[in-house]
Amino acid sequence: MAKFDLTSRMGQYLDRHLVFPLLEFLSAKEIYDETELLKAKLDILSKTNMVDYAIDIRRQLYPNEEVPEELKQRRVHVVAQLQELQQEVEPITKVMGNDEVMKTMENMRDSKTLINFLSKDYNFEIDMIESLHKLAKYRYECGNYSVSTSYLYFCMLVLPPSDKSYLSVLWGKLASEILVQNWESALEDLNKLREYIDSSPNHFGGNSLQLLQQRTWLIHWSLFVFFNHAMGRELIIEMFLYRPHYLNAIQTMCPHILRYLATAVIINRGRRSALKDLVKVIQQESYTYRDPITEFLEHLYVNFDFDGARQKLHECHTVLFNDFFLISCLEEFVENARLMIFETFCRIHQCISIGMLAEKLNMNPDEAECWIVNLIRNARLDAKIDSKLGHVVMGAQPLSPYQQLIEKIDSLAVRSETLVGLIDRKLKARNDIRWGTQEF
Amino acid sequence: MSRFFATGSDSDSDSSSQEEIIPRQAAPIYTFSDDEEEVKRVVRSTKEKRYEELTNLIKLIRNYKKIKDMSSMLTSFEDLQRAYVKALPVVQKEEGGQTPRFYTRCLVELEDFITEMWEDKDGRKNLSKNNSKSLASLRQKLRKYIKDFDEDISKFRENPDQPDDEEEEEKREPEVDSDSDVPVKPAAKVIKPVVRDEGESSSDSEDWPSDSESSSGSSEDEEKFTSMRERFLKRTTEKDDDDEKEKKKDERRKERKDREKRKLRREDEEDEEGEWETVKGGVAIPSEKPKMFAKDAEIDLSLVIKKLSEIIAARGKKRTDRREQIELLHELQAIADQHNLGAAIVVKIKFAIISSIFDYNPKVSDAMKPEYWTNLIERMSEMLDMLRNHDNILISDSVTEETERFDEAPYRIRGCVLTSLERLDDEFIKLLKECDPHSNEYVERLKDEAKVSAIITKVQKHLEVHGSQSELCRIYLRKIEHLYYKFDPLVLQYKSGELPRDTITSMQEMERLCKYIYAKDGTDRLRTRAILSHIYHHALHDNWFQARDLVLMSHLQETIQHSDPSTQILYNRMMAHLGLCAFRHANIKDAHNCLVDLMMTGKPKELLAQGLLPQRQHERSKEQEKIEKQRQMPFHMHINLELLECVYLVSAMLIEIPYMAAHEFDARRRMISKTFYQQLRSSERQSLVGPPESMREHVVAAAKAMRNGHWAACNNFIINEKMNTKVWDLFYQADAVRAMLTKLIKEETLRTYLFTYSHVYDSISMSTLGEMFKLDKPVVHSIISKMIINEELMASLDDPSQTVVMHRSEPSRLQSLALQLADKINNFVDSNERILETKQGNFFLRSANQGGFRGDRQNFRAGNVQDWSRQRRDNRREY
Repeated sequence: MAKFDLTSRMGQYLDRHLVFPLLEFLSAKEIYDETELLKAKLDILSKTNMVDYAIDIRRQLYPNEEVPEELKQRRVHVVAQLQELQQEVEPITKVMGNDEVMKTMENMRDSKTLINFLSKDYNFEIDMIESLHKLAKYRYECGNYSVSTSYLYFCMLVLPPSDKSYLSVLWGKLASEILVQNWESALEDLNKLREYIDSSPNHFGGNSLQLLQQRTWLIHWSLFVFFNHAMGRELIIEMFLYRPHYLNAIQTMCPHILRYLATAVIINRGRRSALKDLVKVIQQESYTYRDPITEFLEHLYVNFDFDGARQKLHECHTVLFNDFFLISCLEEFVENARLMIFETFCRIHQCISIGMLAEKLNMNPDEAECWIVNLIRNARLDAKIDSKLGHVVMGAQPLSPYQQLIEKIDSLAVRSETLVGLIDRKLKARNDIRWGTQEF
Repeated sequence: MSRFFATGSDSDSDSSSQEEIIPRQAAPIYTFSDDEEEVKRVVRSTKEKRYEELTNLIKLIRNYKKIKDMSSMLTSFEDLQRAYVKALPVVQKEEGGQTPRFYTRCLVELEDFITEMWEDKDGRKNLSKNNSKSLASLRQKLRKYIKDFDEDISKFRENPDQPDDEEEEEKREPEVDSDSDVPVKPAAKVIKPVVRDEGESSSDSEDWPSDSESSSGSSEDEEKFTSMRERFLKRTTEKDDDDEKEKKKDERRKERKDREKRKLRREDEEDEEGEWETVKGGVAIPSEKPKMFAKDAEIDLSLVIKKLSEIIAARGKKRTDRREQIELLHELQAIADQHNLGAAIVVKIKFAIISSIFDYNPKVSDAMKPEYWTNLIERMSEMLDMLRNHDNILISDSVTEETERFDEAPYRIRGCVLTSLERLDDEFIKLLKECDPHSNEYVERLKDEAKVSAIITKVQKHLEVHGSQSELCRIYLRKIEHLYYKFDPLVLQYKSGELPRDTITSMQEMERLCKYIYAKDGTDRLRTRAILSHIYHHALHDNWFQARDLVLMSHLQETIQHSDPSTQILYNRMMAHLGLCAFRHANIKDAHNCLVDLMMTGKPKELLAQGLLPQRQHERSKEQEKIEKQRQMPFHMHINLELLECVYLVSAMLIEIPYMAAHEFDARRRMISKTFYQQLRSSERQSLVGPPESMREHVVAAAKAMRNGHWAACNNFIINEKMNTKVWDLFYQADAVRAMLTKLIKEETLRTYLFTYSHVYDSISMSTLGEMFKLDKPVVHSIISKMIINEELMASLDDPSQTVVMHRSEPSRLQSLALQLADKINNFVDSNERILETKQGNFFLRSANQGGFRGDRQNFRAGNVQDWSRQRRDNRREY
């Protein structure tokens, strides 16, 4: 099952801390060897300040060994440094403790007046922001995400967008929001970050490579938000498919994101129109990336190979089940994919035997019949079941030429009439003017 | 010498002509008293004027002879004829109808020269087109013209030397003691300056190459001349004259013989390359050659450097003989070799040799001579080998003349290997273009390609150690340009996994070079060219996806029209190959799109720089033609145009025929491919259509068969013996292409069949269809499903019976006409609205609406009724 696992590919575009949930998920699924996963975790932790966690994992990994002295020392060191930083930003933490001030701060229009206000009343210095930023980062490294969010929020309020550390603040905020699973504000930050990246290509010195990298990171990070936020499925299509910059980034840097995009389109019943565009992209990239989900779409909408599609749907099941982001929408996916097969089927056929349909949809005949009946009852399908022969007969009638003709001519009379009316009015107006001129 | 003469004669003729002309001129024009005065002011007589004109022209012709510039010679000759006609009255008067000797001499010489040139077939071939044309016409004209002078010429040929000398003698005498002698023989005297001028200038102009060729030779000349003058000075009696005459004649003859000898030698050198070797060897230095150094001089480094700079200093001057320079340098190199003066100085001399060989050809647009070319290649690779063997030599153009160092270890030399190499490469291309591509000569030249590539590799290795980034980019691009158009079968083997993963094919090489340029290049041009070549190479080796992605990512389509012509040509070539690659990959639409721009204009030949087409509207000027010729691709890089056209037409057929069938009654059917339509129409115009002969006829016949749904016939027209030899066998994997084509033809014919005949059927079994078109059932099912989904075919499948049931919704003729009528009325109303808007003069509104209209038109096919209503609403709001 490791074949379609994307964790290693995704990992290179994610922050260390963001990889943890993925690894946790993997160990729960037991696809990989547990010790190897633990080693990987330890490796990741080595560069962070979450020493306690690291010690835990070490114990799990090597139950017989003592915790090395080095780690213990590091722990002490980390705590000391933390306190040092904390002291530096004492005034700010005080301000932050004060709800009233925070409220007035939020109502300030730009950072300049805000800084003036703060330095006047609360002996605030601009250098402190830097230390605050450092502290937030430190807290984050220690796994103390919620504190770090509040610090970064303050940073964002004070710093002007042109500041060089503004971008890093934005990224930090997004990461911490994701890690505390505060999806609402994470989405907000995501949008802010995207706007910042898109609107100011100059920040990266016109270096399109860097810009591309930033976008690729953003795409990967946003997956957390999109697959957890209620609105995410809508937004992911908006961002990945209909923003050319991001589509480009996906195509050039990370075609594996197409899996998520495809899933989002499939489970989003309202966005059938996006399918066409998506299929185009999938076809274009078919030589660099393919997995059961994209292949499913290809079979269904390019080759109209229903048997192939059915097979792929079966494979999709396992893929989704083992994907951190997609596991939550497994049911939905299967339901919608079935519906898609059925819809296409109905558009092409006028008479289908239920037995075959059931086979194509991976159901038993009775279930299938029940399913179709439900569809018909919900008025989503114009069809009748011929139970004697076991057929479904479609009821759709094509547009007759008469109707076409009428549709075309329908508006003409009205249009001509308005035209005539207009000309009449004009003529009259002109005559009036003539009268006028003659009089004078 | 001529200058000396000019000043001398001026004063001389002053006195004589005045005296002489006044009475003569006064007689006919006595009515105008003013004129007399004016004539007085005129320094030279008409005769003299005419004669000088003639002599000047003759001088010119002689000069042209030297450089074998036929076209200029032709014009000068024509001028000469004209001038002679002008001078004719004077001649008649003065010489009693006798043609002047110098004129006859010139004609004779010219004739000799022309016949010699004509005989020398090899030489003639080497002439540029322009020159050889001029040579032919000059020869004809001269023959015709010379008939009038037959008598004079034959007389002249009997004793060619005598008369000039006589006259020279005569004229010398009075000039020398002009103050004592009052003009004795005015008639003779008047001719004198002219004749003398002729005589001298002839010797002058003939001598000047030898002059510079060997300093001793020229000094000899001078010596002789002074002695001659002395003799004149001494001369007092007529008796002496005869003696003098004899002597002089002897001398002249000797001189002439010498000259002929030299000429012979020179011709030898030109004809045989072998001669070069001996010269290079430096041992068998011809005896008359000047000594490089004094015999007993101690030859050391500084002396050689001095001599070298002396030779180099003469470079580019008008009177230096370029051939001589090369020889001298060779000799110098030999001497340096003999005395073991170190590698640095030898490299420096080699460098000088290379640049002087480049200099040899005075015209930039012409190719250098093959023997020089071979010489050049050898020198170049020798030099590079030396550079590689001695890695303590720094050669760069940042080293100034002063800081050059030849004597100790970190040698420093001024010069740029890269520039020489680029020049060499350009010369190679020029040389190839000069040859007839179908001759053996071309093949011979092309063999040098390997050598040039080897040299490039050497330079590349050298620069990889010593060069800067931008230099490396340049050399890499050169390398790429020698690589990108070559097909490497290894690549395909590599792709199919037959070769081990670590083999280096040309693909990997390209990848490495191009990536370096992408990363390091500062100028846009190099990068663009690298990308284009890279795509070309990908396309050539069937890497369709990579090639396509590179095209799409580079966004070159948008900016290419702003780049220089040669890059645009490269772009066109790339597009052509991309089209072919798409075709091989069965991406017919892409193939068509790639090729349509090239084929639409009907002049792919010109767009790919594979030959000039005659222009109908306006002739090219000479300049323009020259420039365009320079841009042409050498023959071995050409893309087969017939293949290109065939691929284009076949893909157009595969797209167009089903489309035509689907939209038979559609009034707004647009043409997908104009060129294809033209072919179809022209065949329809024929009253009798015979069996197809040419490639185009085959495609047209196939298209007709396809229109009738006859896939086997269509397939036979496209794939048969004739087409195989003409077109398909040119593909590397021809069988795969043919199989792909057959499959596509089946599918598209099936579609056409369904479009055309669906109204006849009520239902049709899929297995029958599959049998008819020899297709598998799933394929048929897939094709029909696609058509149904895209609403191309009004039908649906009946699953239990495996049939296609038609819906009878295809409009009948009447209905479709009615629909068309409705469309037209729609248009009519629309245009009415627009007219009203323009009358109102609301420009802003109009432009906005027009845009909408255009968009509408494109969308119309999708049956966009909504758009119409939206527009209507908009209009209302505006009113």
